[in-house]
Parts: sequence; structure tokens; C-alpha cells
Amino acid sequence: MLGYLARRLAMTIPTLLLVAVAVFTLVRLIPGDPVQVMLGDNADPAQAAQLRAQLGLDQPVPLQFLYWLGKLATGDLGHSITNNLPVLPLILERFQVSATIVLVAVGLAACIAVVAGLIAAWKQNSALDLAIIGGATLLLSIPSFWLGLLLLLLFGLKLKWLPVIGYVPFSEDGWQAMLFMVLPIVTLTAVEIGVLTRMARAASIEVLRLEYVTHARAKGVPEWLVLGRHVLPNAFAPTWTLIGLVLGHLLGGIAVIETVFTLPGLGRLLVDSIFARDYPVVQGCLLFTAAIYVVVNLIVDLCYPLFDPRVAVA
Amino acid sequence: MVLRRPSRGMMVGLLALSVMLAAPLRADAETLLRTRLNADIRSTDPGTNRDANTDGVMAHIVEGLVAFRDDTSIGPMLADSWTVSNDGKTYSFHLRQGVKFHNGAGMTADDVIWSLKRWLDPATQWRCLSEFSATGIAQIQKIEAPDAKTVAITLDRPTALFLSTLARPDCGQTAIIHRDSVGPDGKWIAPVGTGPFKLGEWKRGQYVDLVRFDGYAARSEPRTGYTGTKIAQVDRIRFNVVPDGSAAKAGLLSGSLDAISNLAIPDVEDLKTRPDVQLSITPALGLTGILFQTRDPLLKDVRIRRAIALSLDTPQIIDAVMEGIARANNSALPIGSPFYSEVETHGYTQNIAEAKKLLAQSGYHGQPIKMIANKRYSYVFDSAVLVQAMAQAAGINIEIEVLDWAAQLDRYNRGDYQSMAFVYSPRLDPSLSFEMLMGPKATQPRKVWDDPEAQRLLQESMMIDDKAKRQLLFDELHRRFIDDVPMIVLFNGAEIAALRNNVKGFAGWLFGQPRFWGVSLQ
Repeated sequence: MLGYLARRLAMTIPTLLLVAVAVFTLVRLIPGDPVQVMLGDNADPAQAAQLRAQLGLDQPVPLQFLYWLGKLATGDLGHSITNNLPVLPLILERFQVSATIVLVAVGLAACIAVVAGLIAAWKQNSALDLAIIGGATLLLSIPSFWLGLLLLLLFGLKLKWLPVIGYVPFSEDGWQAMLFMVLPIVTLTAVEIGVLTRMARAASIEVLRLEYVTHARAKGVPEWLVLGRHVLPNAFAPTWTLIGLVLGHLLGGIAVIETVFTLPGLGRLLVDSIFARDYPVVQGCLLFTAAIYVVVNLIVDLCYPLFDPRVAVA
Repeated sequence: MVLRRPSRGMMVGLLALSVMLAAPLRADAETLLRTRLNADIRSTDPGTNRDANTDGVMAHIVEGLVAFRDDTSIGPMLADSWTVSNDGKTYSFHLRQGVKFHNGAGMTADDVIWSLKRWLDPATQWRCLSEFSATGIAQIQKIEAPDAKTVAITLDRPTALFLSTLARPDCGQTAIIHRDSVGPDGKWIAPVGTGPFKLGEWKRGQYVDLVRFDGYAARSEPRTGYTGTKIAQVDRIRFNVVPDGSAAKAGLLSGSLDAISNLAIPDVEDLKTRPDVQLSITPALGLTGILFQTRDPLLKDVRIRRAIALSLDTPQIIDAVMEGIARANNSALPIGSPFYSEVETHGYTQNIAEAKKLLAQSGYHGQPIKMIANKRYSYVFDSAVLVQAMAQAAGINIEIEVLDWAAQLDRYNRGDYQSMAFVYSPRLDPSLSFEMLMGPKATQPRKVWDDPEAQRLLQESMMIDDKAKRQLLFDELHRRFIDDVPMIVLFNGAEIAALRNNVKGFAGWLFGQPRFWGVSLQ
């Protein structure tokens, strides 16, 4: 187990190195100059040149890359061009916000979707199945920003049940934090339910057709036990893989939802930094996202034996 | 019935209960004005790492010797008055007495000298340092205090732009700050200024809180621009970072925000009908127009540029794009400028027949003309689309290329375009309104108008102070600008703020940045 873990972690190093090269190159291929964005339409050329030199942007790109890589090796992602703050703490601060919403929303979505998918598969081709799969498809089709705005208008503006603008961290005021988190979590949960329900249903249908399920039923095992003990654990493995992919994808930032609900998350940091051409922050965010993806998938792989003992991680 | 004397424990309990009950009442008594920033501020160091949002927030915290009035003329702020030597090189500022910094210290001539020298130190990276270099408006040769109440600044040559440069919001109004604003190593900590609000808490990406400065020494004149009476009427202002316009609007309507500025044009009609919201619409100084690359093989022919100008019904474009809240203006001078005279009202009138004639003379036969636009400013993109449609009626083939703002700015700075729909930020002095457009393309590719004779007139306008003489120069520059068509100015836009009805005393102004001193909540 430990050997497997070490091997997988070692494999992440070349992956992240490749990502670092790609990220650094791609960011610099985007037209635009951070210095010009900072100085605006009234930029004095001499001042722009001075600022460029100060930020090290006047150096050849390969040299800039080596300098960045050197610092990266020591865990230093550099400083933001826009506000001169160290990038890593900035990312970690924003990541907390995104991670809270994503983990709660995906957790909720998984619980609802797995049960809904199982029921839909159990009652395949019935009206209930049609309703569940129809609902899932509908949720999948709704753009998250539209659903978010709709919820914002209904619960924030019309009913005035929930706050519309702002964010309070849990460390400051748990109750207020929850109020601010409800709408983003509901929005994200709704969207992810659509994705996961379809997968859970498809996986459950596959398992329900297997012989050991027929055998269990023939033995007279109650239906709830057949579903709970024999179908659910086996059908959950593919859904779990999807949950891992979804988590990895969402933990990199939910820019649209963060923008609609004015949350200071990682996605908004990345988008703002792209518009400002804040190279170190963009590079840091993308590298961090890649690392998160790798780690989440590793955790998913390590968890497989819990659902399917046939899978060994040795 | 026997009334027992309350025990000590009971008394303590009652006292605690009364304190607990009173605490929320005290908290409720605080007046908090909640407004919106569409992006976070860059820093708290005015005039250095800044953008328009930073300037707007910092204007509540710091003040300079002089400041712009509503009509863009220069008025006294921390200086009560000033005199200029006969040779026009030495400005003596007589400081206002009784002014206190946010840390309680009184402002002295020493503080003024320290602040000015800090700005002029290259290590500060002041945005406007280059203005006081050999290539700028004038070099500062000496700063001294002839007495405790006076500061004298000597320049190497006279300039009409000295005071307006000191007052520029993007220069941080050349703020006079206390030494405590920086650490022993000279590194910036936080602004200790003289403004009506102190910096409270800045939660990056979330909000900036400003707290009323109780020791503020206000001027006696009425509020005007960034000067006059600037008394804080609320205890605290919270600038919430709300990037999304729809979310900001929802925040205003739900009561989560009291005021939002930079309102999108399409929201105006909707908000007009809301009974609990009031709108403040003010003409702005920004400039939206179509830039031409006069070195382009096709557009170097003034007849083609003129034909495009004559193909446009500018008032119709403005009505469609700005929904009736701005006026057409073909002049580089904004309509609100005190130098915008009858001469500046003369621009282009749509004349398709004349446009077609000019095109035929130039030999134009439908070659595509690329026009860069962006969607960051919706009115810029909308203007480009309408220009494209109208020019088509004259047989001009314009192709729009949409870029993001940073990419467009890059192309603008390199002069790498045929034409582009562009928006310039406000310039508060008429010379600067022309200066942002004019210059030699060989050394400054971003400049759109390269005319040596016009450049000479502009330099002259920067040297003289006489208003009538300057007016004549600007009128002449306007005529040349219209004849040469290096760009087509379309309009100056408007600054739109929406406020809940309980917000009183808000007034927009030409510069566009919201001011929350003198604003109360009822």
C-alpha cells in the first residue's frame, strides 16, 4: 500500500513538471501585457519599461521560466504582479472558499444522486424512472449561472430569506456563513445531481442484470437488502470514479458560481488574474488545480478497495 | 405583598442583561453605507499601484494641496491659497491650519515636504513621477518651507499643468500623508491621511471598509469635485467587491447594497420604474470613439477616413447605444469641459453622397477594414456594430474583431491595428484631453494623431495660463482634428449610479468616481 502510494506520488512529479511547462508557455502566448493593464491607456513608455524591468518581464522568456521553476522547487510560486502578494497563500485562502462549497455540494449531490439512480434503475422504464431521469437531464441542461441568478432573485430579492451580496467565513460567524453559502451550494448541487444520477442509474442497471442479484432474489432475500447490500456497493464504484473527476474539476474553481454569488474563491481569482495578465497567479492557480486533480484521483483510487474488494492497490 | 430587596447576584444579572440588550442598540446606531466595486482595489498606496477603483476609494482617505472642482477647475484643498512667482516657476502654497492626520497629528509644512519628496523618490514608483522629469511638464528643482505655514515648490520652467497634475486622481492627488504611513524601512503600511474617512478593514476580494474620521477639519466652501466641505455623514462605508452587474443590481433591489455606480446602460430603464430606487445620471469625461491607424496603407488616405465619418449618423448611434442618456460629441474636448465652446459643437454630419464621392476619388473598392472592439465595455462594442452597419450603406466594408481588454490595450499601445473602437479614461485638463491622442507615432505608437503643427499648438496650451488664449488654441486644435480625422469621437458617455431612496445627498460629477462624503442614510 505504502509502496503504491509512493509510486503514485513519484509519478505526479513529471506530470506536474509537464503542466508547469505548458502553463508557463500558454500564459505567455495570450496577447496582452500585465504592465499595460496596470498602467492603462495613459502609460508612459519609460515608466512601463521601468515596471517591466522591476517585474523581471524584460528578461528572455526561457530565463523567466528557469527563475520561476527554481523558486517553484522551493515551494515558492512567486508574487502577484497586481498586488505583490505571495501567490501560494493567496491561492490557499481562496481555495478554502471554493473547497467548502464544492465538498458540501458534491457530497449532497452524490447522496441524492446515488439513491435516485438506484431507485430509477430498480423501477426501470416506469413513470418514476422517467421522472428521475427527466429531472436529471433538466438539471444537467440548466446553465449554472442562470440557475444561480434565478435562485438569487427568488430567495434573495423576492422572498428576502437569504443574503444576496457578500461572504462570511465559518471562522467568523458560522450561522452567517451558512446563510451566504446556501444558494451557491444549492446551485452547484442541482447541477451535479444531474451528472451523477445518470451515471448511478446506468451503473445500477448493469448490476441489477447480474446473476448474483437474480440468485439473491431467488433465495428470497428482501428487495431492500438486495439493493442495499448487493447492488449499491457494486454500482457505486463507477459513480465514485465520476465523483473523483467532478471533484477534481470543481476544486479548481467554480468561477461562474463565485462571480454570481460574489464569493472570493479560486475560480474568480484565476479569471481576474487572466484578465489582468497576472502571470504568476495564473500559473500558480493552474498548477495548483493540476495538483488537486492528481491528488483527488489518487484518493479515489485508494478508496476503491472499500467498495470493491477485488480491486487491490498493491 | 412584600418586595424583597434584589440580591447582589440578581443585580449583576440584571446589569449583564441590560448591557446585552443595549449592545445591539449601540451597534444598530452605527450608520453603514454599502456600495459596490466591480473589482477589488489594487493597493492602499495612492498613485502607485492603482486603478480607477483604487483612486475612487483612496479619494475618501487622502487629500492633496489642491483638488479638482466639479467644473474641472482647480481649487484649494490642504492649501488655503497659493501664489505664483512672476516668472511662473515658483508656487507658494499657504497651508490650511488645524488640519489633522488620522493618527491625530497636526499637518505641518514638514509633513508636506516629506510627502512630496517621497513621491519624487523613484523608489516610491509614483505613477506621475515622469510628469516631473525632463520629458514631463516640468522638473521640480526645489521644495522648501519659507515658514511653518508655507511650502514653496520651484520648477525649471513655467507650465499651465502643474496644479492640475498635482490634483490628478490617478496621481493619488499627490496626497499629503503622515510618515506613519510607511515603516522604518520606507515600505508602505497603510495610508494615514487627512481625508474624511480612515481606512478600516480591507478583506481582499471581499470588501474595503472606511471609517469616519472624527477629527476631520472640513473646508467651509460647498462640496465641489474633490474639494469643498467633505464631511462624513455615515459612520462607515463598505465597498463590496461585486464583479457581476446582475448580482449588484439584485443586491441593490434586495437592500443588501445602498448604492451602486458604473451601472450598465440596459439596467437604467428597469431601475427607473422601481419605486425604492433613485438614479443619478451625470455626463462623464471619458471618451468613446473610433481610432484610425493613419499609417495604414488604406487609411492613410484622409478621404477614406472622412468618408467613414460622413457615413455615420452620430446622434442616432448615441441614442441607440446610450439610450438617451448621453449626447453626441465629435470633439476631443468633453462636453462638460469649461473649454467646450460653440466651435467644439461642429463635427461631422451624415452625408452618404459625399462619402461615396470621397471613396470614389480615393479609389476604394470595398477592401475590408478591420475594426477591433471589446465586450468589457458594452457600449464600445455596440458602437462598433452600428458604425459597421452605417458605413456599409456608403459601401465601406468594416470587419469587427473582438478582443479582450488586455489584448486590445496591447494592440493599441503598439499601434497594431487598422481601426479600433476604444474608450479613453477621463482627462481633467483640456490640454491632456488632446495630449492623450497626440504625439509622434515613431516614438509613441499608441498616439493616434501625429501632426507636428498641432503638436506645437498643444505645447503652447500647456505653457500658458490665460483662459482666453487657451480657448483659441483648443478651438484651432479642434478644427484641425475634425479636418484630419485621425479618429471619430462619438460621445463622452455618462456616469450612472443607482441608490436606494434612503440615500440622501449623493451627487455625481464629471470625473465619474462616486463621492460618499456629504451622503447620509435616512
